[in-house]
Amino acid sequence: MLILGLDTATVQVSCAVGGHEGVLAATQSSRAKRHAETLVPAIEFTCRQARIDLKEISVVAVDLGPGLFTGLRVGVATAKAMAHALRVPMIGVSSLDLVAFPVRFTNRLIVAAIDARRGELYYGFYRQVPGGIQRLSDHHIGSPDDLASELLATGEDCLLVGDGALRYREVFEGLNKVELADQEFAYPSATSLTMLAHAQALREQFVKPWELQPLYLRKPDAEINWSMRDAR
Amino acid sequence: MVKDVVLPEPIAREGLRILGIETSCDETAAAVVVDARDVLSSVVSSQVELHAPYGGVVPEIASRAHVEFLIPVVARALLEAGIDDDQVDAVGATVGPGLIGSLLVGVSAAKALALVWGVPFVGVNHLEAHLYAAFLEEPDLELPIVVLLVSGGHTLLVLMEGHGQYRLLGSTIDDAAGEAFDKVSRYLGLGYPGGPAIDNIALEGDPRAVEFPRAILDEGYDFSFSGLKTAVVNYVRKNPGVPIPDLAASFQEAVVDVLATKARRAAREFNAKGLCLAGGVAANSRLRERILDVCVEDGLRVFLPGRSMCTDNAAMVAAAAWWRLRSDGPSPLDVGAYPNLRLPVA
Ligand SMILES: [Zn+2]
Repeated sequence: MLILGLDTATVQVSCAVGGHEGVLAATQSSRAKRHAETLVPAIEFTCRQARIDLKEISVVAVDLGPGLFTGLRVGVATAKAMAHALRVPMIGVSSLDLVAFPVRFTNRLIVAAIDARRGELYYGFYRQVPGGIQRLSDHHIGSPDDLASELLATGEDCLLVGDGALRYREVFEGLNKVELADQEFAYPSATSLTMLAHAQALREQFVKPWELQPLYLRKPDAEINWSMRDAR
Repeated sequence: MVKDVVLPEPIAREGLRILGIETSCDETAAAVVVDARDVLSSVVSSQVELHAPYGGVVPEIASRAHVEFLIPVVARALLEAGIDDDQVDAVGATVGPGLIGSLLVGVSAAKALALVWGVPFVGVNHLEAHLYAAFLEEPDLELPIVVLLVSGGHTLLVLMEGHGQYRLLGSTIDDAAGEAFDKVSRYLGLGYPGGPAIDNIALEGDPRAVEFPRAILDEGYDFSFSGLKTAVVNYVRKNPGVPIPDLAASFQEAVVDVLATKARRAAREFNAKGLCLAGGVAANSRLRERILDVCVEDGLRVFLPGRSMCTDNAAMVAAAAWWRLRSDGPSPLDVGAYPNLRLPVA
């Protein structure tokens, strides 16, 4: 089973091919905001590096977000079209799961935080379990201060990871029992994606291309304004 | 005139089936067209109802809907065309102008399909695609022609001298024609989209009831519609009892008058063989009537694409892709979306 993983939910674009042998090839680029230009050539390149033909791919996995809406849609639209054309199923994984996964070798509470822009973060809480991570809560959206108070409330040792955590590092650095993971762990990666997707694929947790939807966590502004107007 | 590009054999042959994809605004569309002539299928999933509560297209809502509907629309277009994936010879998609988030969905999906199918990808200019709507129904249209491209986003008067050879004669200096329809419709409480709403109610009104100003702007071929909108508002303030159908008909008459007058003048000045309408506002019945009259009086060939080819669709994209493929070859897979793309003018 070969999985193609695509991730464009943050400023980074990444692509990987992997399966039960692990990751065969991966590429990533963080030269912001060129998702659509970069992604398809990256897929071509990655497959060539892995020396596989596109037709050998049996699952297309994609980072569902939350993240930057425009980047996210480039990845999801590309992934859906790939899966549709290849006639293979899809697997969607949350960006926060992907950020938490590489730092799982700790007993601390893992807190993934991705930049949501407009002074907010998407965040979620995780703990290491045998073979991976377990999500302890739903995904949240809130200000860095909201997250800081939640961290204090747990009273636990926390490992805080993600580009959102680093962007607001001054809010978190002074906090007792909280450590910030390095820049190298800041973004979700297609490498983690293929590994997490592989685990899901073994359990046959597939979705069809037309069923898969991005995780936005935030309504379009117009809808928000509209419901506020109604409420007034 | 088609440039001399040596094309690889699979593209040079006849009977090229192109899958067109259009997501530049609020229509999710896919179509299969053979050699820019035979429309095997043209599927349009309109988002009008999603945007109607807001009185206009909301970019974020449009982008989300494209992600949701594009694959089903593509699948449906292939099914209706009665062809399998491996019978698609190229994929063309609108790369601009339009809403960036919406464009990116179509471009990304189109490039992915082309990559998997191992066929050329062709980036298409949405404005050029509108011009090619006419050729779909009349492939041997004689050039030069003057094209009046009027929609919610654009108001252009173009001289088409050859394939891919355009001269931009004029454009709007403020609102697009379709935008003027939307704004006046909203003001008169006729709802969204404004074009069909005004067109319908105007049938019951007197176009001569109110003499609204015509911004003819004597020199050149530019247009202006914001003054007209203000004139409607001012008139209603001073004459609150005036029947809405009369207002709608008189407003529409003023817009159509300006458009038809300039198109006619351009056709004369440049010795055009014909006059052609394109874009969503080209579906307006009064505008079609007037352009037809002008052409009969001046001995011009008239081309009024069917209403479904005037509004955004993917058949016109597939047609334009066929011409671009022949003149420029395939586009590279690292193209993105270009929200402010202009018509390529000589
Ligand atoms: Zn259009």
